Amino acid sequence: MGKLIAYRLVLALPQLALVSLLVFFLTYLVPGSPAAAILGAGATPESLAQVESDLGLDQPFAERLVEWFGAALTGDLGLSYSNSLPVSDLIAERLPATLSLVGGGLVFAGVFGILLGVLAALRPGPLDRAINGVTSLGLAIPEFWFGLILSLVFAVQLGWVPVVAYTPLAEDPAAWFTGMILPSIALGAPAAAMVARQTRGAMAKSLRAPYIDSLTAVGVPRTRVVVRYALKNAMIPVLASTGLTLRILIGASFVVETVFAVPGMGELLLHSVIGKDFPVVQGAVLVVAVLVIGVNLVLDVGYGLLDPKVRSQ
Amino acid sequence: MRSSKNSTKPKALALASVAAVMVLAGCSGNAASQDKSTSGTLAANWGGFPESWAPGAEMEAGYMRVPYENLVALNGQGEIIPVLATKWEQTDKALTLTLREGVTFHDGTPFDAEAVKVNLESIRDGKTAYAGPLKVIESVDAVDAHTVRLNLSEPTPSLLTQLSTRGAPMGSPKAIKAGTIAQTPVGTGPWAYDAKSSTKGTRMTFTYYDGYWDGADSVGFQTVELYAIPEDNAATGALATGEISLTDTETTQFGRIESNASLKHLSYPAIRNNPMFFDRGEGGAFEDVRVRQAACYALNTEEIAKLEPDFKVRSQHFSEGEPGYNPDVTGYTHDLAKAKALMAEAGDPEVEVEMLAAPFNEKQMQVYAEQLGKIGIKVSVQPAAPPQYFSQWNSGRYGLGLGSNDELTPYDWYQAWFAEEAPGNPAHVESAELKKAADAAIAAGASDEADALWQDVTKIISDEALTCAHVAGEELIAWNTKVVTDVKPSTQPWETNAIDYKALRPAGE
Repeated sequence: MGKLIAYRLVLALPQLALVSLLVFFLTYLVPGSPAAAILGAGATPESLAQVESDLGLDQPFAERLVEWFGAALTGDLGLSYSNSLPVSDLIAERLPATLSLVGGGLVFAGVFGILLGVLAALRPGPLDRAINGVTSLGLAIPEFWFGLILSLVFAVQLGWVPVVAYTPLAEDPAAWFTGMILPSIALGAPAAAMVARQTRGAMAKSLRAPYIDSLTAVGVPRTRVVVRYALKNAMIPVLASTGLTLRILIGASFVVETVFAVPGMGELLLHSVIGKDFPVVQGAVLVVAVLVIGVNLVLDVGYGLLDPKVRSQ
Repeated sequence: MRSSKNSTKPKALALASVAAVMVLAGCSGNAASQDKSTSGTLAANWGGFPESWAPGAEMEAGYMRVPYENLVALNGQGEIIPVLATKWEQTDKALTLTLREGVTFHDGTPFDAEAVKVNLESIRDGKTAYAGPLKVIESVDAVDAHTVRLNLSEPTPSLLTQLSTRGAPMGSPKAIKAGTIAQTPVGTGPWAYDAKSSTKGTRMTFTYYDGYWDGADSVGFQTVELYAIPEDNAATGALATGEISLTDTETTQFGRIESNASLKHLSYPAIRNNPMFFDRGEGGAFEDVRVRQAACYALNTEEIAKLEPDFKVRSQHFSEGEPGYNPDVTGYTHDLAKAKALMAEAGDPEVEVEMLAAPFNEKQMQVYAEQLGKIGIKVSVQPAAPPQYFSQWNSGRYGLGLGSNDELTPYDWYQAWFAEEAPGNPAHVESAELKKAADAAIAAGASDEADALWQDVTKIISDEALTCAHVAGEELIAWNTKVVTDVKPSTQPWETNAIDYKALRPAGE
């Protein structure tokens, strides 16, 4: 297991470097100068040149890239063009909200997706078809629209939860939990549908396997057969696709957060892209990449725990 | 039937359990909102927060005018009125301001000439869009504690107006020097930022500042909370539940607002836009005034105004009562025959131009292209992402542009777009007649005859068809009458999200 973790860690480093290089290169390719975005329509050529010089934008690409990489390795992601604050501080302010939202969505997707998938596999026929219908709906409904409907019904009409969703966990855990219910459901519903379908397929395959018949024949209780053996084996492909689910959740969270006024990374990224605040864009993408790669690492370890063949490979 | 019954079971069970959690945990949200309406708290939503609260940073009025005040303001008639400066005297070379005594910033720092110097120098030397108009201030002298003199590089009749805008609020010099003001606003306004009661990214709380120079009776609310709900449907929902008291909104929300007896809305003109003929240089597509005039007659402003529910047709940039407004300027009423005649008179030149468009204005540009196409002017609309659009639309690479001209005075408007060296005049051409009229108006400084001279300038700009087809978008504000009354726009014109905060009163008082 130690070898697996070390191997995955070593693989993660070039991945991060590649992502950073790609983002840096793409921001370099974007036409127009950030100085023009900062100074607006009334900027003179002299003031534009001055701001470009102040921001180091008049330096050669390679020099800027090396400087940024060197600083990033020490945890310094630079200063925002728009307010001169450290990018790492801006990201640190937003990251807890995004993690709350993505975490909530992932938990909802995992719990409800697995539950529905297992139920569908165990009860072929009408229940299976009904769950299939629900998951089709779940995959088809856009998170944004579903979020609006949830907000309208449960926050506006029924008043069960606040419309303004987010309270930091450290400030008030109960309010944090209450606030994150609807956003998590809105974000996690399509992912739950995806997980349910994967679980159903894997579970049905597991339940048809000869060892299940053997276990049943020797008198192992049905619940134990389902949970201890069939479900454990069915979880291997589900877990393997969780990395993809997470990436989808992070992307969708940027949309869902606007519906529930969750102050996450999405708004920061959007404003930074529009305002050509490249240090923030580069820093935010790097942090998201670290998150995805980190979670994939954890999943790989989990995959290894579930499947001994992976450990030996 | 059986299958249908069975299929709903798990779903119902799931919803019931979610609902149960919501019932148990959701009560606190409602209680909080009820407290607000009885505790003198105004909860305003403008859809986000400024990236920086430093004076001179891009800050919409809805945020800026809670903790900050300006040296002067504009009243509803376009006249300068005192705020932190009580008197002023302007010459071609200097603007001398007498400052209000007994004013302190929220951190206890006295508001004096030195504070004004720090603020104006910080804005002028900053990397923001508001630095440009203050570049005319060569130096700032603190004559005494309550008198400050701004030494000017050239006559600048619009400087007082500029000092009234959101580009020139007064912040604590201590906080500016410490570099903390970007995240922690410290002004002289009625409400001081309360970091402890705020939640970063969600809610910023401002409580009444006991040392406020105008006294507690000048305001209605003890506390102002600013929220960042970017989505209009969610904001309307929060308004209906009383979670927020006031919000900016869109016409798409009017149905929900008007169906709720507690909610009201108002609108006022806030955003102007008009096409700009950039390619006016020698051999340029719009060099010939007849081609520009033909284009103006071909543009059907009535049709353009239908693009957005809140667009209104205007004859010129300035409104009646504003400096520069000329009643003789009637605009170019759509007349295709006249447009074609002018093109024929110009020799039916082949005119092909490109126009850069962003997602938020591409539709309007496509209408321009279609209408101009009827007189043979070919406009190719090039879609671009906002970052590219903002940095290139007026760079001179594109012959035609759609300007959002926010200048408040004819001096600023002329200097920004039409003077030979104006940043918005990439061809750097100016007619002798316009230059002569503008020079005369500038020389008249702030004298009584200046306004008539600026009216001449705006007439020439219209006659030369340097721009036309003016429309203005409205800012829409909605509020919950159970929480707040006396909602009216600020007297400061052409500001988005602007509300007269000091006039607001809690409902039932």
